[in-house]
Amino acid sequence: MEKQKVRFEFVTFTGERQEVEGMTGDTVMQVAYDNGVEGVAAECGGSMSCGTCHVFLDEASFDRIDAPSEGEVDMLDIVASERRPTSRLSCQIKLEENFTGAKVMIPEMQY
Amino acid sequence: MTQAQLQHSDIPAGVPMHDAGERFHPFEHEGMHQLLAEFRQDVPIFYSPLIDYWVVTRRADVISVLRDHERFSAVVATQPVVPWPPELLQYLVDQGFTNESVQVACDPPRHTRIRSHVQGFLNPKKLQSFEAEVRALVQSYVAAINGKDTVDLVDAITYELPALIAFLLLGVKDIDPRRIKSWTELRVKLMHGHPTREEQMAAADDLLDFWRFSCDLVEQRKVNPGDDYPSWLLASRGGDDTRLTENEIKSLTFALLLAAHETTSNASANVLLELLRRPEDWQALVEDPSLIPNTVEEGLRYVSSVVAWRRMAKEDFELAGVSLPKGTKLLLSLASASRDEGTYENGDNFDIRRKNARSHVAFGNGIHFCMGAPIARMQIRMMIEELTSAFPNMTLIPDEEIEIAGVLTFRGPTRLPVRLNG
Ligand code: HEM
Ligand code: FES
Repeated sequence: MEKQKVRFEFVTFTGERQEVEGMTGDTVMQVAYDNGVEGVAAECGGSMSCGTCHVFLDEASFDRIDAPSEGEVDMLDIVASERRPTSRLSCQIKLEENFTGAKVMIPEMQY
Repeated sequence: MTQAQLQHSDIPAGVPMHDAGERFHPFEHEGMHQLLAEFRQDVPIFYSPLIDYWVVTRRADVISVLRDHERFSAVVATQPVVPWPPELLQYLVDQGFTNESVQVACDPPRHTRIRSHVQGFLNPKKLQSFEAEVRALVQSYVAAINGKDTVDLVDAITYELPALIAFLLLGVKDIDPRRIKSWTELRVKLMHGHPTREEQMAAADDLLDFWRFSCDLVEQRKVNPGDDYPSWLLASRGGDDTRLTENEIKSLTFALLLAAHETTSNASANVLLELLRRPEDWQALVEDPSLIPNTVEEGLRYVSSVVAWRRMAKEDFELAGVSLPKGTKLLLSLASASRDEGTYENGDNFDIRRKNARSHVAFGNGIHFCMGAPIARMQIRMMIEELTSAFPNMTLIPDEEIEIAGVLTFRGPTRLPVRLNG
């Protein structure tokens, strides 16, 4: 399938917003890294070993996209900042068109 | 190769990059941090003729290479620095040494397939579940030195203990940890050291014994599975070679019998040494143990036990302003990256209260990120907790020579003589 552009935004812990663009199939973590978004350490490069790519989504986007896997839910137990109902590991969210307009909030700390 | 690309012979004598290559002694740890601090200022990359590697000194460049697994292959990560003689290779093959690169020295898609199986066992949650057993082991080792006047902490604690914790994961019982340690040292020397040809040939039979030990372990688990790493891998394989082969499981077990303790022995001894060199820090931890987790991170940052890690370019590339051809081998200095002043204020100072200590690269970065980090951190923390609590007045015995064993990638003191009660 042809790749599509997906636009969404990051919001830092202090409230600064940064609009970004990724391609379908990329992960939110990759987009953060490619755009130099700070606060997503993502030490393990998306292999789900570190829990340092934690983000919160806006509720509507959280509900719209695929639910986290069991492994991701387990990892969310060990993240450094408080876990919330819309917590996700950004390396496990693959962009689809339905992520357009999502708000990705970065927690205070990743470790 | 294009004209613009640099050959090391093109680097004129006298320029900082050439000078760095001449002065850098990759197997000598004495003074290495100071030298790297100097290079980091204006030599982000230089060629080391002694090993035929380009050395990368800045944190951002090190991370960018580690994260770019499409362009930089890990196949050289554990390659012998001094190639093994063909006779040795032949002898090993004849004797059934079928160890293959399954993890730290292989690339996707193979790496991805294998790591997904390993992840089922070596994940933070599972590793956390060993907490009580690790605590009990650490306490038993600390109790064993109680009542003594002087001890060598390497000999008494940091050398063996991480091996026993590795045995917990592997379900190994009834083997002398010292046997595994000496096999491991031998393997480290063969991969990352500069052994003579005689040493290489003489190592063959011990290497085979180590390999056979790993194979036996897997064979036993096939008959008698338990809640341990090899049993998990066998179950995850489900008899299907396209998922994971038995030989891959043997190779993974062989790999973990090294990875799970060699680094941790060094890392714990490194941080203990820095603390004991600074009695005020030791005292601070005695008074406020909540400083210990950050101390562990600062130890890993300041004296990472893995001082350097290797990659090879799969295509032509540019790094730190230099264009280099496909096939170039890179030695990423984790030791230098973790002290980079661009990220760490006064990076060459050891500061147990440093705010961003945890952002070090001691465990690597990217898809090969250390899978044992949670349990490594746990044991180092517990060693410091138990030692500061049992021996609040411990001091280093002055004027004793502390030697650092010299291999390309690892660093750790060979002994740590202390007076337990000051
Ligand atoms: C302080 C102690 C340790 C240090 C400094 C350390 C460091 C490292 C480093 C630098 C890498 C390579 C990362 C890369 O290529 O980007 C690595 C990989 C690895 N480590 Fe550790 N390690 C430690 C302890 C452990 C322990 C205790 C275990 C097992 C229980 C372990 C298991 C592994 C494994 C399985 C890999 C390979 C991961 C892969 O290639 O996908 N390590 N470690
Ligand atoms: S990047 Fe490590 S868990 Fe997401």
